[in-house]
Formats: sequence, C-alpha cells, structure tokens
Amino acid sequence: MEARELKKILAAYDTKLDEKLSLNVASLKSINLDKSERSTQSILKYRIIEIVIFSLLAIFIGNYIARNWSQTHLAMSGIIVGVFTLIALSGSIGQVTLLQQIDFAKPTVDIRKKIELVNTHGLLFIKLMFLSTPIWWSYVVVGSDYLFNIDLYNNMDSNFVLKYLIINSLLIIPMVWFLNKLTYKNLNVKWVRKTIGFFVGTKTMKALEFLKDIEEFER
Amino acid sequence: MMVNKKEHFIKTIDEYKKIIYKIVNSYCQNKEDRKDLEQEIIIHLWNSFDNYNSDYKYSTWMYRIALNVAISFYRKEKKWSMKNDFYNEESIFKIEEDTNEEQTELNYHLKLLQEFIHNLNELNKALMLLYLEEKSYEEISEILGITKTNVATKISRIKLKLKKEFQNI
Repeated sequence: MEARELKKILAAYDTKLDEKLSLNVASLKSINLDKSERSTQSILKYRIIEIVIFSLLAIFIGNYIARNWSQTHLAMSGIIVGVFTLIALSGSIGQVTLLQQIDFAKPTVDIRKKIELVNTHGLLFIKLMFLSTPIWWSYVVVGSDYLFNIDLYNNMDSNFVLKYLIINSLLIIPMVWFLNKLTYKNLNVKWVRKTIGFFVGTKTMKALEFLKDIEEFER
Repeated sequence: MMVNKKEHFIKTIDEYKKIIYKIVNSYCQNKEDRKDLEQEIIIHLWNSFDNYNSDYKYSTWMYRIALNVAISFYRKEKKWSMKNDFYNEESIFKIEEDTNEEQTELNYHLKLLQEFIHNLNELNKALMLLYLEEKSYEEISEILGITKTNVATKISRIKLKLKKEFQNI
C-alpha cells in the first residue's frame, strides 16, 4: 500500500468523522474550566525556595569572606564555597526562567526541550557534588571555623596541606572532563549511561533520553 | 462577557474537534485515559484562549497545544498538567457506531495505521499525524518548531517507512 492509498483511507475516515463525530456540549460545559490551576506552580514554588536558600547562603558566604579577608586560607575556602553556591543559585534562576517560558501554545520541540531541561535539574546537583570532591576541605574549613570556631588549617601539618593541594589540583582537570561527559549527548556511551543512571532517578534519566531523542529529531 | 467567551470557545472546539479527537486517539489506547486527555487538552486550550496569537491559524494553535499536552500526558508528567477539582465521567465527544461492510474494511485499515502510529516515538507520532493530515511543510514546521528542510527530509523518510510497513496489504 502506497502513502497515497493511505491518505485515501484517511480521507474516508475524515468523511466518516464529519458525519458521525459530534461534540458533547453538555459534557464540555460541565467541566469547571475557570477553576483550573497550572501544576507548574508547585515546581515554581520549589525553585523559588531554592533561590531564596542559595541567595541567603551567598550573602552569608560573602560576609564570611569579607570578615576573613586577612586570613588567606579562610578567605580562599570561603571563595570556593561561594563559587559553588553561585553556580547552584544561577542553576535555580535558570530553572525559574525556563518555567516561565513554558507555554504550550509554542512549537512542540521548543517546549519539550524546556520541559526536559527542567526535569533534569537534579543532574546539576550531582555534578556539583562530584566537582566538590577535590575541594571538599573548603566546606570543612568554613564549617568548622563558623560553627565551632576551630581553625583546622592551623592544626594541620604543612607537608600534608601541600601534598593535598597538589593532588587535588591535579584531580580538577580529569573531574571537569568527566563532568563534561555526563550529558544526554553522550548517553550512547555505555559508562556515561551507567554513571548517570546510578546517580539520578528514573524520571531524570527518562528526561535525558528524551533530550537525546529531540536532538536526533532536529537533525 | 464570560458567557460570550465560553460560547466562542465551544464554537471553536466544535469547529476543530477532529484535531483533538485524532490526537487523543493517537496518543492513548485506553478509553479512560482518552477521556482524561480530552479534558486536559480542553482545559489547556481554555487557559490559552485569551492569548491566542492571530498571526497563526486556529488549527496551528490547537495542534501545538493538543500535541504538547498529549506528549506530556503520554510521558506521564503530571507536573505539567492542569489541576482541576472536577473531572467529567463522560467523553466530550459522541461518535455514532457503524456497522456496514465498507466501514468495517475502513476500520481494519485504520486500526493497522493506528497501531503503526502507536509504535512511533512521541515526536515522530506528531510528525506522522501532521503528514497524514496533509498539512503543508510550513505549517508542520510552525507546529513542531523544526525547519522546513527538516520537515521535508523527515516526510520522505516517513513515506519510505509507510511503504515498507504496508507493502503486503
């Protein structure tokens, strides 16, 4: 059967629908159209809460850096924690922007991309967690100083600190390479797929797979 | 004013009801799901009705909303749905049953085609529907948000796929 013949069948189906399909107006009228609310409002609320939390954290860290500016190790640790807070904050602001752009009257591919990018938000935090591994000491230094007033750096052996800094600085490059690989674009690579699958939930994985489908569809 | 808006809305839905009916049938096999999807589409259309952009045809606007809602529904993404306390038990469509032989044959071919469409992924399903509806490349490109050249390439692939799938019928 050729496409032309299929279209003939569909034309016959169209004629049939013209004759036999009607709108159940009573049913349509009974839907309480004015009392509907977008479910996206609840995601928006969560993302706004994230923005508030990260903004407060950024203010706190900024204040911490200013207070400890004269002590290089504390200021440096604060700056590192601050950079991560700002990345998380910009991620959440990006999510709110995306959510506000989601309008179902816009073209399908554009809207699906935005929806799936919102659905994959969790991956940002997984990446930040990984990226934090070489500099996890910054969190500990800031935390112990702020919460317990203990300056860990002063109690550490300088040789240990030097070795630690060298090893972890070297770790940053492979870590950035590794994290760059963890995107939907590389889902066809077995280890990327397994790593993402291990750390994110099924929903995030489904969203990433769909982003890959969209990319193929656009080609 | 509101009554007029609702009447105008119902009139528009009535005029383009086949679009919703066909999309619902392509994305849902289950009767109960179909009723939910119909209502979900109607609610989204109602909420966007005031913002209808007259630069596009009504059918383009309706296809975009109905396809976007259907894809989210198909992917079971409840967070993109509309919350509404009232859900109707009845379908918003009425369709008369047919019995004559000619219609039975038509139904058989339609069933095969629907099965074929069901097996496509969400985006290809949308493209296939628009192609079978004989939409122009320009309108398909406006609805889906891909270039006209891409639409043309994909449609030639669809034709081959259809030919292969239905060659023995």
